[in-house]
Amino acid sequence: MEPPGLNHWLVVSAMLFCIGAAGVVLRRNLLVVLMSLEIMLNAANLALVAFSRYGNGLDGQIFVFFVITVAAAEVAVGLAILVALYRLCGTVRVSDIATLKL
Amino acid sequence: MNLSDLLPLLRFLAPEILLSALALGALLGEAALSRLLGVEKRQNLLGWLALLGLGACLVILGDQAARGETLALGRGAFVASPFNALLKTAATLAVMASVTMGLRAPFVRHVGENYALVLFSLLGMFFLLSAESLLMIFVALELTSLPLYALAASQKGARRSIEGGLKYLLFGGLSAAFLLFGISYVYGMSGQGSLAGLRDWLVAQRTAGGPGFLFLTGVCLMIVGLGFKIAAAPFHLWAPDAYEGAPLPAAAILASASKLAGIVVAARLLLGAFLPVAGNVLGSPLSWHAGWSPAVAALAVASLTVGNLAALAQRNAKRFMAYSSVAHAGNVLVAFLALDASGRPAALAAPAIAYYAVIYALTNAGVFAAIHALAWGARGDDFADFRGAARRAPFPAFFLLIFLLSLAGVPPMAGFFGKLFLFMAALQADATHWGLAWLVAYALAMNVVALGYYLRFARVLWVEPAEDLRPISTPLELRVALVALALLVLGLGVFPSSCLAAFRTMGGVLLLRG
Repeated sequence: MEPPGLNHWLVVSAMLFCIGAAGVVLRRNLLVVLMSLEIMLNAANLALVAFSRYGNGLDGQIFVFFVITVAAAEVAVGLAILVALYRLCGTVRVSDIATLKL
Repeated sequence: MNLSDLLPLLRFLAPEILLSALALGALLGEAALSRLLGVEKRQNLLGWLALLGLGACLVILGDQAARGETLALGRGAFVASPFNALLKTAATLAVMASVTMGLRAPFVRHVGENYALVLFSLLGMFFLLSAESLLMIFVALELTSLPLYALAASQKGARRSIEGGLKYLLFGGLSAAFLLFGISYVYGMSGQGSLAGLRDWLVAQRTAGGPGFLFLTGVCLMIVGLGFKIAAAPFHLWAPDAYEGAPLPAAAILASASKLAGIVVAARLLLGAFLPVAGNVLGSPLSWHAGWSPAVAALAVASLTVGNLAALAQRNAKRFMAYSSVAHAGNVLVAFLALDASGRPAALAAPAIAYYAVIYALTNAGVFAAIHALAWGARGDDFADFRGAARRAPFPAFFLLIFLLSLAGVPPMAGFFGKLFLFMAALQADATHWGLAWLVAYALAMNVVALGYYLRFARVLWVEPAEDLRPISTPLELRVALVALALLVLGLGVFPSSCLAAFRTMGGVLLLRG
């Protein structure tokens, strides 16, 4: 069996991105929505590392370190806002925060 | 590298270093003073210190702009140029207006953290305005956005603030994910991390069979991410809620400095790095060329339509400003399309975009400062709360009128020249065939609609009768901020061509060096 190549990794990363996007759009629990956002960022990480591994030098892997840090900060802010929301309204469901219209 | 090499670096990085120190100082100050002073005193003291520090930043930036030296570090990771210093000055002025608004109206208990978030966000904008590499653009964009999410949600007792902040965070996170995924394809296919490298690679690919499908997918994903950032329709859904929910000082930053940085980075990417794959939208759709132009044209038309028509129907001043900002995103995108048939941008395009972004940031900061002054004695921020406000507080109402007229594009104001240059650039691009006339005509028609709703807001203030006639007093520092912003808006309007010439001669403007 031949080892996986660049295209295999790219397919996996595209699938992860789509799964994450679907999660953001479809899931009703805000915690799961935040997790889906993380999946999308990690899909990009996977693509960057794959490109880096198959011929683009180390830049992509350095990029990933920054992305991981930024993603952690983003989750921290997101969870803080979720906690504030839960304290105020007692809910973390998307359908319950429709006070503001589109 | 020895010590003497570091000194010039320090001179170029001084604004960023000062700003980081200020932000950390605000955090420490809060920790040290929270037992000693009450909220309002801390708000005042730390606020004045922040203003002082930002004033020092302005001086340093002015010096950088006057010296006319350029420093580029690490393959475009950080570029300090006079032009960038000018853009940073505009962002700093807008943030100073926001800090001034918050001086006497404590809307949060943790005032030091609040100022620290504002300053960190401005730091992110500084790096964003200096970034010419994909990594720095992503990191700086997040450094700008993350504090703004928290600021938008900072009124923890108000449901609309939390919800607005949450929506902003979710849409902002989504946009970051799209941008990053796009970046990963763009980097992966080209192997280039810097914008200049990307452009050269794309030029080389013209003779080598084109950049390939994945690269173009990456560019499209990045346009989606940028569209979220500058609130272009159909990616504007977060803006009305975030603006309405955020406390006015935070909303002022969202609408001014953050928008300025977003427009500049979009211009650097599209008109700088991705120029060779622009395509065009000249003439009838049958003669268009594939590239990012048709996609951006769709965003421009959608923003002009949605922003202007939805603004007509608004009843809340902040939501109204959100839709107005969508409409202005549409205006500015028109100049992104000012490319001739061979893909060269009109000479006016980049300076016009920069001029418009600066004017827009200053004017919007002024609008929010004036609304803040008027909202002092009002129950809320719906139009109904501002009825006859001119009789209660003629001073801020007068300045609000000036800023609204500038946004509407009435001649003596800078806003008029901003729009004029954008549309002139679009017409110049293909002057012999009037290739972009369709887009400019549509934008002009939509700007007539815009005139209507800005004047309607002015009418609420000046013509409609007030129910409550008690005068609203405006604090001195807010008056000073309003006068300063109005002078800038009028001054940039009185000398538009010299500003434009200055932007043009400052070398490269938005387009990358070398």
